[in-house]
Amino acid sequence: MDDRKFTILATLSFALLVPAPRELAAQLVSGRLEAGQYTVSDGVLPASALRFAPSFQFDLPHAQISARGAAFLSEQNLQIADGIVSGTFTTPTVYGVRAEMIGNASRAVDERSLGSDQVDVQTRIHVPFRQAGGLWFGGGVAKPWRVAVISSADVLDGGVWGKLGDGTSKFGVATLTATFTNFSFSKVASVRDSSTALSCGAATVGALPTTSALDDAGGTACERQSRFSDMEGVLRWEVGPLEMSAQAGYRLGDSYDVTPDSRHWSSAHATVWLNERVAIIGGGGRQPALPLRGLPARSFGMAGLEIAYSPVSRGAPPVALPHIMLVKKFEMQPGNTPDMRKIVIRVGGVERVDVMGDFSDWSPLTLVRRGRDLWELNVPLSPGMYHINVRTDGGPWMAPPGIPTMHDGFAGDVGLIVVPK
Amino acid sequence: MIRLTAARLLSSMRRAPHALVVPLVVGASLLLSAPPAAAQDAIFKLDPASRNVVDLVMDSAMAAGLPNRSIFSRALEGIAKKASNRQIVDAVRRRLVSLRTARARLGGVSDDELEAAASVLEAGAKPEELARFRARPQGRTQLEAFTVWADFLARGVPKDEAFSAINKLWQDGADDAIFHSLWNNVQSDILQGLSPGTALQNRIRETPQRATASAGKPPEGP
Repeated sequence: MDDRKFTILATLSFALLVPAPRELAAQLVSGRLEAGQYTVSDGVLPASALRFAPSFQFDLPHAQISARGAAFLSEQNLQIADGIVSGTFTTPTVYGVRAEMIGNASRAVDERSLGSDQVDVQTRIHVPFRQAGGLWFGGGVAKPWRVAVISSADVLDGGVWGKLGDGTSKFGVATLTATFTNFSFSKVASVRDSSTALSCGAATVGALPTTSALDDAGGTACERQSRFSDMEGVLRWEVGPLEMSAQAGYRLGDSYDVTPDSRHWSSAHATVWLNERVAIIGGGGRQPALPLRGLPARSFGMAGLEIAYSPVSRGAPPVALPHIMLVKKFEMQPGNTPDMRKIVIRVGGVERVDVMGDFSDWSPLTLVRRGRDLWELNVPLSPGMYHINVRTDGGPWMAPPGIPTMHDGFAGDVGLIVVPK
Repeated sequence: MIRLTAARLLSSMRRAPHALVVPLVVGASLLLSAPPAAAQDAIFKLDPASRNVVDLVMDSAMAAGLPNRSIFSRALEGIAKKASNRQIVDAVRRRLVSLRTARARLGGVSDDELEAAASVLEAGAKPEELARFRARPQGRTQLEAFTVWADFLARGVPKDEAFSAINKLWQDGADDAIFHSLWNNVQSDILQGLSPGTALQNRIRETPQRATASAGKPPEGP
């Protein structure tokens, strides 16, 4: 293995295993390293090799930045297979709707080519339903490089997701996602190709005389509008130490744009966590061709180990949700009368703030917005001790910051308020 | 169950109107002490077997003179947080045991203090440690001390160190402000990365001077 590549891989692996500072780790950083045997067959070049796939994720209140890659160890050489850096920026939820902007820069290396690069940007409107489901739609553009016959592509997508169960459920948590993605782009093809008769037929955008490098004979080429759509369903199920996912898809489009081996596909993965950091992973199935990347359809199988540093929940909803508590301040102030107290919460970028506690018989009470990030509620509280939880936008109940807390016995925390005499 | 009891009382009132006054007083007091209708409705989200257990635990608490309101509240909390029936039944049973233990160790204290003591026991404190708080000057309440103690245990402060610190301040006569100040400093240090035990040790060293100042004050009340 090349010394430089080995150093990079070793550094990434080490970084995964070194715990980050407690507060940072508790909210921001997670990482994984997969190592195992990976077998792939695209009908031309079957290959089996030891594969390393590190990934990192940084979570901020309204942004998520992640990077992942994969490399094969083949004949003592580490061969980079692909890499991607992604950023997702999320606006505050306003009237139950949130906007998301997603940007990706990636490189994929195929055995038979130098590889292809792609930059894509996409915006989405996401309507979450109490963090147990949601729908989104959006669009963007993907610009591939070094895939000679493809222009930039317009991408439209939409989908729905729903979650069943929670962490306390005997049957675990199941998340079902259904997506529809449409790709629209133009291909440039030489009239000398075997497929030219079709490519320069009725659907041709324009036949253009060209001296493009593609047309090595110096003949004419035509630009044809291509379009295909992917419909995909993903089921992810987590129960105890077991995580499973299965996906299946179907590609819509005419035969020029969709090859027979990419019409439908399915795959499945399973992960068994031995402890918080180490898991056995396995999976296999078929992936469709990626025309924008110049990659063919392929079958694959994998088995190996995963080492993870994921202080945040391992399970992630299909569309990134801001999961960090945004409440900046919690106060209990004297109310208008001696028996009344005013709950004051400062939290920005949310549409709804609720509290509940033994003072409300554990029924949610919605606070009133008094300013950009100021929420208030008057509640009758006589002197004594009370338990209280707060949530934003129908999210999970949490203990408010700035007051003593204790475990609630139901896998969460609860805040403690003492109202003095 | 309380609703049924009230219905029976109303029925007997119709049969014996001459005995109106006594049932009226008893019924009114029962209704006043009963949870509101919304809370009653919430409890029906439990399966019948679990609801029966909650009723039995509440009856046991009432018979022992313990605040059954605290037990009912635990059930409602579990329902609101979508806990399983099993978790809720475990929680109310645990609360009954904690309340009994707290009453035995602390003697006659207010319902709030008893509930706070139960919370400390459920957080991991030992019953014999609780007994050290039995003696208290009139007008002084353990609420803040118990709240801070429960928080320390939840944050991972070693149990012995948490008890030692809270007990020392209590015996020194620390007031609520000192307990709250200690909590504030310790949680701040923990958030900055200090281990919970070290944070408490560091802060408790600074606290006695302030505690001693208030310890010199005579206890309030007659």
